[in-house]
Amino acid sequence: MENCDVTIVGGGSAGLAALKHLSSLGKQAILLEAGKEIGSKNVSGGILYSKKSNNGKIYNVEDIYGESFLTEYPYERKITKYILNATSKDKVFSIDLTESHNYQTNFGYSVLLNKLNSWFAQEAQNAAERLGGGIITGVHVRALKWEEKRSKIIVQTDELEEFETKVVIAADGVNSEIAEMANAREKFSPSELYQGVKVLVKLPEKIIEERFEINNSEEGAAHLFAGDVSLNLIGGGFLYTNRDSLSIGGVYHYDSLLENPIEPAEIVNSMLKNPLISELIKDEVPIKEIDKTLSKEQQVRKSFAITKLLNNWNELRQLYYSHKLKEKSIADRKYSSEDEIKSKLDNLTKRLTDEYNIKFKTNYIELEYTTKLVPDGKRGRMKKPYHKNILFIGDAAGRGLFFGPRIEGLNVGMDDAARASIAVARSLDKNNFDSDYLGEFYTRLVEESPYTVDMKEIDKQYLNVILNSTRKRIPSNVLGLKHKLLFNLVSNDGLRNFFITMINKYGYTRLLSFIESEDVYFKVPIKIADKLGTLNTASYIPQIPTIQDRVAKLCYHEDNISHIKILDSSKNFLRKMVVLCPTKCYSLEGDEVILQHEGCIECGTCSKETEWRHPRGEKGVIFKYG
Amino acid sequence: MTLNIAVLVKLEPDFSEGSVSYNPDGTLNRAETKSKLGAHSAIASLAAFYTKVKYGGYISVSSMGPPMAEIALQEAQSICDADELHLYSDRLFASADTLATAEVLQQGIRKMNNGKEMDIVFSGHRASDGETGQTGPQTAWKLGFTFLGNVIDFSVDLNKRFILAKRLVALPGFYDIVEEIQAPLPVFIAIDPLYKPIFDTISLRLTSSRYLKEAKERAANYKTYLKVLDHKKLELDPRFVGLPGSPTIVHKVEKIPKARTTRTAELIEGYDREGIKNTITKILQLVQK
Repeated sequence: MENCDVTIVGGGSAGLAALKHLSSLGKQAILLEAGKEIGSKNVSGGILYSKKSNNGKIYNVEDIYGESFLTEYPYERKITKYILNATSKDKVFSIDLTESHNYQTNFGYSVLLNKLNSWFAQEAQNAAERLGGGIITGVHVRALKWEEKRSKIIVQTDELEEFETKVVIAADGVNSEIAEMANAREKFSPSELYQGVKVLVKLPEKIIEERFEINNSEEGAAHLFAGDVSLNLIGGGFLYTNRDSLSIGGVYHYDSLLENPIEPAEIVNSMLKNPLISELIKDEVPIKEIDKTLSKEQQVRKSFAITKLLNNWNELRQLYYSHKLKEKSIADRKYSSEDEIKSKLDNLTKRLTDEYNIKFKTNYIELEYTTKLVPDGKRGRMKKPYHKNILFIGDAAGRGLFFGPRIEGLNVGMDDAARASIAVARSLDKNNFDSDYLGEFYTRLVEESPYTVDMKEIDKQYLNVILNSTRKRIPSNVLGLKHKLLFNLVSNDGLRNFFITMINKYGYTRLLSFIESEDVYFKVPIKIADKLGTLNTASYIPQIPTIQDRVAKLCYHEDNISHIKILDSSKNFLRKMVVLCPTKCYSLEGDEVILQHEGCIECGTCSKETEWRHPRGEKGVIFKYG
Repeated sequence: MTLNIAVLVKLEPDFSEGSVSYNPDGTLNRAETKSKLGAHSAIASLAAFYTKVKYGGYISVSSMGPPMAEIALQEAQSICDADELHLYSDRLFASADTLATAEVLQQGIRKMNNGKEMDIVFSGHRASDGETGQTGPQTAWKLGFTFLGNVIDFSVDLNKRFILAKRLVALPGFYDIVEEIQAPLPVFIAIDPLYKPIFDTISLRLTSSRYLKEAKERAANYKTYLKVLDHKKLELDPRFVGLPGSPTIVHKVEKIPKARTTRTAELIEGYDREGIKNTITKILQLVQK
C-alpha cells in the first residue's frame, strides 16, 4: 500500500494554503480535490482580505505565498471604496463605510475564485513537488479507516487505490463529508448557516471605472445593500467590481429562508431590478436572430458565421475597453494605435448590423450563476476543530466571520490552514499524533487567532468606526421612537462601551437574534431610504434570465448516479426544497417530493435532511469563474 | 530499461462552431478554417503519455505536413511531454496519398531518437478529414512491426518485452467483442477512440502531473528544439513520395447526395411538463397502432 505523511482533502483556498505552508515547513503532503481542475468547485462572494490585529498574529495570504501574490496579480481589484446602500423601491441612501473596510486591514482585493485558486495551486504545487507531494485532482474521498495501533488512517477514494497517511487536514468545505465520516460534528443547523447567491455580470474594464468613479485601473469599489432588496429576509446584498465583471448577489440567514421560503434566484433578481444596480450593469448586447425561412443547412451556416464574427467583436471590444491588453497589443504591433482598434470595432459592428441583421440592445450579460452555503463562525464554529488525527480548517470547521458589514471567509480559512500546518509539522517532527499532542495543540492555536476572538466578542473599536460613519450621515430624527432611543444609546460612547462589555461577558452569541434582526436588516434601512434616499430611474428593463437559462449556461460533467439520496420524501423540509433549491432540482409529484440531481450545483442547501455526498471525482458542476 | 515511443499525429481542420468556414457551394473553405491537432491524434498522444508515466520512456512525436503543421506538434507536446518533435515538411511531399505518406513516416520513425529502434509506435484511429484509416497499417507494414488496431487498453512487460493489448473488434451478430492479444515488441498501435488512460495510484498521479507541467513548459518554447526534416535529411527517394509515390488516382469528387425521404415525419416540440406529456401520448399512440 502506498503512503504519504499528510493528506489534505479539498482544494479550495484553505486546503491549498495548508499544502503551501506545510511545504514551506519542509513537510510532504498531498492534496486531493474532487473537481477536474482546481477551482472548478469553488465559489466566493468575494473579497480576500489581509488583516492586522492588536489581538495577535494573523497568517495572511502574503505570509503564506510571499510577495509574489502582490506582483503576479491573481486578484481583480483593490477595494478602495466601501459603500453601504439602504434601499426602498426606487430610493437609495448611501453611506461611505470605507473607514470600517480599512479597519485593521492591509488590503482587500475582489477575487474570482477559479482564477485565484488556480494561481494558489500553481504555487502550492511547485513547493509540494520538491518534497514528493503535490495536488491530485478528480479524486473523491469515499471513506477513512483508522489503524488505531499504528495511529494511521487508510484513505479510500472512488478513483485511486487505497493508501495510508499519518494526518488528514479536512478542507472539504461547509458540507464536509470528512466531518460526517469521522463523526466529528453534527451537520450545521440552519441557524448556523447563510445561503449565498451570486451572478457574475460581464462589463468592460473602462466602463466599470467610469460608472463607479474609479480613477485608478487597479482600484475598485464594493457596495453592500440592505432594505427592500432583501425581500424581508435577514441578510443583505453585495456588488463587487472585478477587473471586467461585477459580482452581484446576496447572503441570507438560512433559517430566515426556511421560515419564509423564497427562490434563491429571486434574491439576486431583486438586486438586479433595483434601478441603481440596473444602471450600473447595463451594456450594449448583440441579439442574434437567424432567419427561420432559410433552409436548415443555411441557418446552421449563418449561425456559424455570426458566432465567428461575434467572437471577434467581443475580443476586440474587450481589448478596446481594457488597459493592459490594449497597451500590449499596440506594443506587440498587432495594432498601430487606439484609433485603429476603434475603427476596426466600428467596422465590425456595422458589418454585423448591415450584413447579418444583428441588433444591439441595452441589457446586461450574465456569465455565471452560483450559490453556496456559508458557515456562521459566531454560532457554528467547531470548538475543538479536530477528531483523532484529522484537523478541520476553514468552512469545514464552520469558521466564517460575519459582523455587520464585515464579511470574511477566505482569509479566515487561510489563517486556519497555517495554524493546522504548524501543528502537523510539530507532530511529524516528534512522530506523535495523539489527540493531546496534535489536536489539542491545534485547538489552542486556533483559539489564539484574532479571528476566533472576533467570532466570540464584539470589537468595540470596530463598532465605533461603523457608528462614526453612520452618525455623520443619519440624523436620529428620521428614525421612529424605538430606533431613535436605540440609536442614541449606541451613540453614547460611555453607555455603549458599558453595554458591549456586558454583552461580551454574558456571551454575545446569546444576543445574536436581537442584533441580527428584521429591524437592522430591512425595517430601519427602508425607513432611512424613504426619508433620505435619492430617487433613481432605470433607462431600460433588464431581461433577467430564467433559472433554466442560468442552469443551461453552467458546465456539467454529468454523473448518472445521484450524489443525493432522499431519506423521507414526505418531510416538510423537503417540500421547502422545491422552492429553496437554487437550481430547482426538487419538484412535487402528487404528495411526494422528487429529485433530479442533474442540475445540482452542490451547494448543500438540502443536505440537512438528505444523504448528501459530493459527486465522484471530476463529476458534477464545473464553475468557470467561481 | 525504458521504452522508445513514437507518436504520429496530424493537423486537421477544426470543425467546431466559430472555427469552421464553408464556401458558398457548401465545401470546406480551408483557408478560412482554423486547424488543430486531430482528435484521434490527441488520443494517440495520451496513450504515449500514459506509457511514459507508467513504464518510463523517450517520446518522439512526428507529423508530415506543411510548415504550419508544427502547431499540431506543439499541441501533442502539451499532452504527452515529448522528448523530441519532428516535422516532415517538403514541397515534394505534397499531394501524397496514404502510401506515400506511410513511406515518409516509416523513414522518419527510423530516424527518431538518433536512429534507435522504436518499441511502440502510436497513431490515431483515423483522420477526421480523410477517414481512410490506412496510413497507420501501411506504415506498420513498411516498418515490419506487428500492427494492433482498435486498442482500448494495454500493458507492457518490460522484462519479457511483450505487450498485452485489448482490442475492440466487431464480429457479425455480436457487439463489443474485446480481444486480448499478446505481441512481442516492437508494435504499431492504432489507438481506439474509446481508450482512456487510468492513473489509479497516488504515485502515478503525482508523476503524471509533474510530466504534464514539464510538457506545458516545453510546449511553450517548442520552436527551440523542433526539427524540420525534408526528403534529403530523411534520405528518401523522391520517386516514392508525394505525387509520384502515390498510386491512388482521384478520378472525381462527388458531393454525397441527400438521401431521399421515404417517410413522413412530424416535429413535436415540448420542453415543459405539458410538452413532454404530449410527446409521450404521441409515442403511446404510435406504439398502440
